[in-house]
Amino acid sequence: MKNSLVNLYPLTKFYFALFIAATVIIVPNYVFAFAWFPVLILIAVVAGVVKSFLSFILKTLFILLVIVFLMQLFFYPGDEVLASWWIFEVSREGLNYGLTLTSRILAIGSAFILFFRIVEVKDFVKSLEDVGMPSTGAYVVMSTLQIIPEMRRQSNTIMEAQKTRGVETEGSFVNRAKAFFPTLTPLILSSIASTEERAITLEARAFSAPGKKTSLHQLTKRPIDRVLPWVYIIIVIGLIIWRVF
Amino acid sequence: MKRNFKKDFTLLALLLIPIGVAINFVGFQVAQILRLPIFLDTIGTILVGVIAGPLVAIVAAFITNSITAIFNPIYFPYVITSMAIGLGAGLLSKFGMFRTIYKAIISGLIITAIAVVASAPITVLFFGGATGNTSSAITATFLAMGQNIWSAVFTSTIITEIADKVISVLFVYFIVKSISDRYLSKMKYGHMYMKKSNRNR
Repeated sequence: MKNSLVNLYPLTKFYFALFIAATVIIVPNYVFAFAWFPVLILIAVVAGVVKSFLSFILKTLFILLVIVFLMQLFFYPGDEVLASWWIFEVSREGLNYGLTLTSRILAIGSAFILFFRIVEVKDFVKSLEDVGMPSTGAYVVMSTLQIIPEMRRQSNTIMEAQKTRGVETEGSFVNRAKAFFPTLTPLILSSIASTEERAITLEARAFSAPGKKTSLHQLTKRPIDRVLPWVYIIIVIGLIIWRVF
Repeated sequence: MKRNFKKDFTLLALLLIPIGVAINFVGFQVAQILRLPIFLDTIGTILVGVIAGPLVAIVAAFITNSITAIFNPIYFPYVITSMAIGLGAGLLSKFGMFRTIYKAIISGLIITAIAVVASAPITVLFFGGATGNTSSAITATFLAMGQNIWSAVFTSTIITEIADKVISVLFVYFIVKSISDRYLSKMKYGHMYMKKSNRNR
């Protein structure tokens, strides 16, 4: 069970997240949208990522949901007042809108958070390449993911170096603002200079040469990966028809 | 169009994209470490726009937000905002709006306007006006004063964006001034910022 879920083609999982986003936008009912969350938790349990999934939601989504909900509760214009306190009025419309908005954010947000818990970025990029993203694009995305942590480390090193030269990174606001420039400038200039060498390296490996590129990293598509996307599409079309009539 | 597209994405422009994206992340990180009250997370996008043109900057912006989405998918709708900033920076550069410091300040204000117009509707429609950052508190204050949601979000976005974008643009202006002519000569709009050509102007 676990393996068959994790081994789904990355795009099948991605379309599932999009499918959830589409259904909660089509169906204007917050009970329905909130109901997706236990389903996603169940999927996370099966995939064996439930712990990281839930802690991630707590860290990122939870505060946002609380703030969004309170904002609608207190400030959404409505006629039917449920309670009032000092300058704030809580209206039924505000309560409804708050629940609708938070249920959608929770469903869509957690769907994509789960997606990135059960899919390696490398596989996702490869699957995009399979459906027609140019291979240079795949290279750019993958090298970006490598360069970011590298440049983060370099910026820390530069900051330490500038501190030893007497650049202040603590203290008054003006001092801290002044430290931004000497930290980032050397980093940006040296990284830009390094792209010229990288270009030569890539050209030496026939990066721009015309012709079909082969890949070491292969993904397998099973019959279920052909069927499931159609199932999503049929359900979404069905929901749209049900909404209209 | 197709040929234009190919022409903009030279190998060096392609290799500038990861650098631009990383600058966005590192700029944000350094601003956090120094506890500055602004984000400074679009410096890379603006830089790519200024020297490599709007199309390359749009791609850099898209990749930036896609990578942010891996860590927090909620803010992905703002990809529209950062792509608009990249497009704006590229077009402003095309018309020479980064050549002098005064023009750069005007560009900063124009990019602020682009950022506000492209992000306020997202904040209102997707998040009902609050996303939990500093501008949410300002928005709430305006709402409590009786403004409607649109004007409250617009005002608070302008307040938080203006310093951020003008400083980012000025930073890019000084960075571009210090990039070597040899590198600039290989970039789409690089010739405008080369020291040699400035002397002959």
